Amino acid sequence: MDQETIDSANLYYPPGGILLWIIIFLELATFGIALVAMVYSGKAEPVLFHESRLSLNVTYGTINTIFLLTSGFFMALSVKAAKSGGKRRARKYLPATILFGTLFVGLKSLEYHEKIVAGSSLGYNTFFDYYWMLTMFHLVHVIVGLVILVSVYFGVNKKNGSTSIQDIEASAAFWHMCDLIWLLLFPVLYLTF
Amino acid sequence: MDRTTTISWIFLVALTVVTLFLSGIRQNYAALLIMIVAASKFLVVGFQFMELKRAHPFWKFLIVTYVVILTALLSI
Repeated sequence: MDQETIDSANLYYPPGGILLWIIIFLELATFGIALVAMVYSGKAEPVLFHESRLSLNVTYGTINTIFLLTSGFFMALSVKAAKSGGKRRARKYLPATILFGTLFVGLKSLEYHEKIVAGSSLGYNTFFDYYWMLTMFHLVHVIVGLVILVSVYFGVNKKNGSTSIQDIEASAAFWHMCDLIWLLLFPVLYLTF
Repeated sequence: MDRTTTISWIFLVALTVVTLFLSGIRQNYAALLIMIVAASKFLVVGFQFMELKRAHPFWKFLIVTYVVILTALLSI
């Protein structure tokens, strides 16, 4: 289906495609269930969860939130540029999208390094089991998203490439899903216990 | 640059800073407030960045229902 004929208001054509939205809701459900399980585990060990939470670096978490939101901002601009002026216009904002996503990965790696050096690795306690499982599962999604974005960037760079505006929109939906998940992980892991 | 998208981004960053201040409150309701702000950010990303505002009401209903139920479960 050509982009020009797609009506996002149609039930079967949400922005990014229905298949991707099914994946998004499956991912959101998975992370949601894990977060609820974590909160209820925290009620069984409130002191341990509170002390463990205080050992996390809130500044890193906040900066990483801003990195992902900024990356998502540039991604949204890429989609709008592609829709208004053709797919090759997405090239303007995609490098910034990829840059801020990479910064997120870099800062997360630094945070992981500090936690491992401090001995708070997987298996240290219940809180850190959740911390590692949830954040690493999320990080895998971010890395997959970055690979997709790099592929889309090179795709739209080719003059007669097969990358369509719908492909850009689908990759954007996946990338924003990483934002959505992080927006739920950040407060639960870093702030509420 | 698209004005609505830029305003949404500024709003999201501002809410992130607000969240930091809320985390300093030592009251029982602080966690609920933090989760309400997180849910608001979630919906801004969904409706503005992911353009759900243009989608069929079914998708809007689904995402709002998800975040409301999850926020309630995480805040109880």
